[in-house]
Amino acid sequence: MEHSLVLFHNDQQIFFSDEHWLYPLFEVEQFLKEQSISANELLLKDKIAGKAAASLIVRLGIRHCYIELLSERAIPVFEKYGVKYSYQKLVDHIQCRTEDLITDKMTMEETYLFLRKRAGKVQGVSLKINSFSVDIAGKQILDNLELDLGRGEQLVVQGENGSGKTTLIRSILGLIPSINGSITIGEEVVGSTGWQKNRVQTGYLNQETIKNNFPITAAEVVAIGLSSQKIPETERAYRVELAMRKTGSFHLKSKLFHQLSGGEKQRVSLARCLCQNARLLLLDEPTSYLDEKGREELGELLIDLSKNEAPTMLLVSHDSGWTDQLKWHSKTLKGGKLW
Amino acid sequence: MVDLFTYPPILKGFIVLILTGFAFPITGVYLLRMNLLPLRFMLMHGAILGGALSLAMSVNPFGGTLVVNLLLVLLISWMSRSLKADPGQLSAFFMVVSISIAFIFIYRFQVPAKDTLSLMWGSLYTLNEIEFVGTLVFSLLLILFQARYRHQLQAVFFDSDVAQTSGVNEKGFYYGIILITAVTVAAAMKLIGALLLDALLLLPALIASYHAKSYKGMILWSSFWGGLFATVGFLLSLALDLPASSTIAVFASIVFLILILTKEK
Repeated sequence: MEHSLVLFHNDQQIFFSDEHWLYPLFEVEQFLKEQSISANELLLKDKIAGKAAASLIVRLGIRHCYIELLSERAIPVFEKYGVKYSYQKLVDHIQCRTEDLITDKMTMEETYLFLRKRAGKVQGVSLKINSFSVDIAGKQILDNLELDLGRGEQLVVQGENGSGKTTLIRSILGLIPSINGSITIGEEVVGSTGWQKNRVQTGYLNQETIKNNFPITAAEVVAIGLSSQKIPETERAYRVELAMRKTGSFHLKSKLFHQLSGGEKQRVSLARCLCQNARLLLLDEPTSYLDEKGREELGELLIDLSKNEAPTMLLVSHDSGWTDQLKWHSKTLKGGKLW
Repeated sequence: MVDLFTYPPILKGFIVLILTGFAFPITGVYLLRMNLLPLRFMLMHGAILGGALSLAMSVNPFGGTLVVNLLLVLLISWMSRSLKADPGQLSAFFMVVSISIAFIFIYRFQVPAKDTLSLMWGSLYTLNEIEFVGTLVFSLLLILFQARYRHQLQAVFFDSDVAQTSGVNEKGFYYGIILITAVTVAAAMKLIGALLLDALLLLPALIASYHAKSYKGMILWSSFWGGLFATVGFLLSLALDLPASSTIAVFASIVFLILILTKEK
């Protein structure tokens, strides 16, 4: 086979890729999104496939494939989802760390999201905190804190009131200076010139505490996410609408922000972060002042977001009943450190 | 009444008042939104200090008030941010300090107190060429500033933290707004006086805040009300042979009262 991956429709080659690893399959995903071809009519020929590739092939909806070098671990996946496969050579396993990391407990959606994260096909950006300490009025709030969050990962930080959760968020935002240590978002160290230029990549959803009655509409609040960008007004309006539709808040666009309910305000604020194209989302006690319905709706929105755009998200909350429903990894902030 | 416009001071006063009437309420929105009301009082006292210093040194009082006000706002902004001191308390402190130093100068240099205090009621018809052109240019720049940076200003007014995380230079805009406020207060004092400047600055913004349905609406309505008060107030003052500044203030207050009383609960 000349190319690493080839796609046929009615015996006609319609797509090929010379990329490696799982990237050709992500290219196929993009190609199929742009075409109106039913995936189950396609034949996919790939040079090598293990469990990870098999999962992606299933996810793409492809029902026929030919693999030159096939891992035995891929076969149960194909058989479970009715994919007809053939191969040139069958091996026990292929040398691929990704294949080892996919467990049987993972659902197809979880596997897909995991692979997207591995491939960097998510909105999220990495967050790394090294030996970070903050001292406020002589009291050490964060003490050599360490954190490593990969692209598109989510983390809940719990802790009692006064444990430093908000300080942690504000430090990542670059609003509080440290006494030692560093925070790196993607490639940029917080406080550096590069970080200043890319500051919009961090979105901030604060506690719903803006209680003034300044006349500003929900759409104007969402547009704040674009306030530092020089873009035409038509594009601005389009991006605001898109973000508001994603969070189900478009019908609120002309309403005054201060007249919205707590839940509606958080939807609008989340739309602001999406509009900003935030790759790291910091949420500070987002359920404060929300009623049961608002909490439930916000939870659904965040779960949706974690599966689709998948920005890296760090959420601090003492509302453990609500955060448990998100099923995200969690850590506790205690004594200035994460445990 | 039309004949009166053949007099250059009246025509000049009318032109400058109309343009500032539309432009200055924009600063009123900034003042309200940034909670800078105590700063405004301090600037009124700072203007008296500037006036006293200028008269003692025999220089133009308008320039003196402008310089003193700019220095005071920069000092207060720097102190409030770097020392984390309350801007309201700092304003009160500098208010007392300014007026004390002003009276020391008035006493020591035998400045006629009535000349200094004439700043309290303004002098619309005594604008010299530099003041006339300067005020017009500043008004136009203020409108351009608002139009050019409306998105960033909207973010700063909404929430300073959110503005920063949206990539807006919040600190820069804060200082910019403070400086604009200082210049506006100094210019408005010259036009209609310290005691009545709120008719041009705050009342239009306050009225707009009662019925505007968006930030954009707030700015446009403030500007509309300011322009209306200036135009109608000025024409009424000519028709009724009353002081322009007081007529504008009374007219603005009547409109304010009517809107408050008829506002839907």
